Amino acid sequence: MKNLRNQKLFPVGAMMTTTNSVAIQKTTRNIRKTVSAFFLSILAWIIALNGPAQEPSVRFIDVNGGTIAEVSAQRQAEQIYLSVDAVRQIFDLEMTDQYNHPRKRLTLKTKGKQIRLQIGNSVVSIDPGGQTRTLPTPPIIIEQQPMLPIAFFTQLLPELNNFEALYNPSLNRVQLRPKGAWTPAAIGDSVNWAIIIDPGHGGADDRGCESSTGLLEKDIVLALAKQLSSISNEQGIQVYLTRQTDTKKTHFERIQVAKRNQGQLFLSLHCNASFSPHEKGIKIYLNNPKGQLRFPSNVQSALTGQRLKILAQANFLKQSQDFAHALQTELNFLTETPVEITELPLVALSEAYMPALVLELGYLSNVEDLEKLSNSEYIAGVAQAIVRAFQRYISSINPPVPSTLLE
Amino acid sequence: MSDTQETVNISDIQSERISRAQGGLIEQLAGDAYSSAGFSRLLVIWGITLVLIAVGLGVTLYLIERSKQSLVPTAPPPLPIAANPSDIPPPPQEVNLFLLDTTALTLVPVKIERRLHAELTKRLSQIVTALIQETPPNFRNTIPRGTVLNEAYIDSQQTAYLDFSNHLTDGHIGGTTAELLTITAILKTVFDAFPEEIKQVQILIEGEEVKTLAGHLNLSQPLHLFQ
Ligand SMILES: [Zn+2]
Repeated sequence: MKNLRNQKLFPVGAMMTTTNSVAIQKTTRNIRKTVSAFFLSILAWIIALNGPAQEPSVRFIDVNGGTIAEVSAQRQAEQIYLSVDAVRQIFDLEMTDQYNHPRKRLTLKTKGKQIRLQIGNSVVSIDPGGQTRTLPTPPIIIEQQPMLPIAFFTQLLPELNNFEALYNPSLNRVQLRPKGAWTPAAIGDSVNWAIIIDPGHGGADDRGCESSTGLLEKDIVLALAKQLSSISNEQGIQVYLTRQTDTKKTHFERIQVAKRNQGQLFLSLHCNASFSPHEKGIKIYLNNPKGQLRFPSNVQSALTGQRLKILAQANFLKQSQDFAHALQTELNFLTETPVEITELPLVALSEAYMPALVLELGYLSNVEDLEKLSNSEYIAGVAQAIVRAFQRYISSINPPVPSTLLE
Repeated sequence: MSDTQETVNISDIQSERISRAQGGLIEQLAGDAYSSAGFSRLLVIWGITLVLIAVGLGVTLYLIERSKQSLVPTAPPPLPIAANPSDIPPPPQEVNLFLLDTTALTLVPVKIERRLHAELTKRLSQIVTALIQETPPNFRNTIPRGTVLNEAYIDSQQTAYLDFSNHLTDGHIGGTTAELLTITAILKTVFDAFPEEIKQVQILIEGEEVKTLAGHLNLSQPLHLFQ
């Protein structure tokens, strides 16, 4: 009886406690949810920050940017090493290798040559001929496997196989191309080529865009234009700049430089900006009045004669597109963000009666791009890529555009 | 006496069991002091601490969630109606302003409500002015702050002429992308509001035709968009 009563009484008797504990239980459940969410998110961060380190891999690409092979790599003391098997994947499927454990000697037989290496020794001997080469870092053993330094792939093998290798260490990318394919001697005609480089903006009134750190578009593009000029001249390609100093030039004056020097290619250099700090990357623009923005065909502008000039430039659209693709292929080697090509009615190119492009090197409004554009090594890499694009484009045209089309 | 004592004890034990079963966290935190007199004080201290953490986290999570949502902004106060007093104010209408979604990096239509003027050119002025002035959270305006639309008119060929103050050029951040965004935002907003009435748009600065805005795009002719 007592027990029963007590049990019935229980809810009433415990009223005070239960009201509290219901509230507490509810709060507790919420707290547990929030706290666990909180700790889970911290855990996720820790994993994201310290998580399993990504094993580096190196991508070997051909002259057109197509992947030959992507091979896994090992990093030791800031150096990149690839396996012996990578040689087979990239250069020679038929290659045979022999490793002598006690003597730590590695012998590779590829394309009629015997390459002998020793672990811990930078000197490589090549037979027949008994020549030797020295690698910047010696082969090493990782996990009981002999591993070859990246220089073996970017220097030694290209040399032996008559290739040229371009190595981009920040992207772990190696481009292999036939040696000397586009040297002036091979192109023959490039000596006669006149390329017009137009560093955008200039002067006190036309500064172009500006970074939060005070870096100016007009200064970056002028510095690059000067580098381009000297590299191109070394390669036997004649380059003319539309401005040599920080001065204001109208679009008309710039085009006059191109006409006076019988330019066959016009490249206008700029730095980009956007209203979003996230936008980044290299962009190529070509002049097309029927592009993303377009001039209507049925309306005559009040600016007399404009239409005729615009249509005349359209004759070079196809060549401008070819040049854009050459430039895109070369510049893609430098960046992770693929280079985009956009067609728009562009004022800088509207009267250039030759293949012409605007190249936007990167966004001064983006932190990553700004860092690149502030780095002289990066700018030098861009200059070299642009010159390779000139060579690629010139070699694709045979014979070159006759100069009679130009006026 | 002993009856009452027993009742109290049993109910205490019962409630303790329930608390133990459902309030495991508190049980763990309170530990051995659970049933002692110090428990309630501990409970209060821990309770307050945890509630404060929960409230803090809750507010943070709520704010994060809210900032993620692409909120349609609430209707802004309507523009003062500049027409003569005999006009009856028309009901508010929805207008799409094209603003930059800074995450997706594209221009997106953002709805606002306006009491629009009956007359075409005045309505065009109203909408372009709204595009200059409106800055709802989470979106970026692509027209330099402080730009003024001097005048808007539409000719017989259905070309809209938009005459802006020179701040549209002088105040522009530059770059082909930014220039293209500015022009495209204007064109998309105009074509969205006047699909039948306007076929192309010519940008003017201080009453003059201009070759360009920031040195890249050719604005010497009326423009429309590739669809
Ligand atoms: Zn520019």
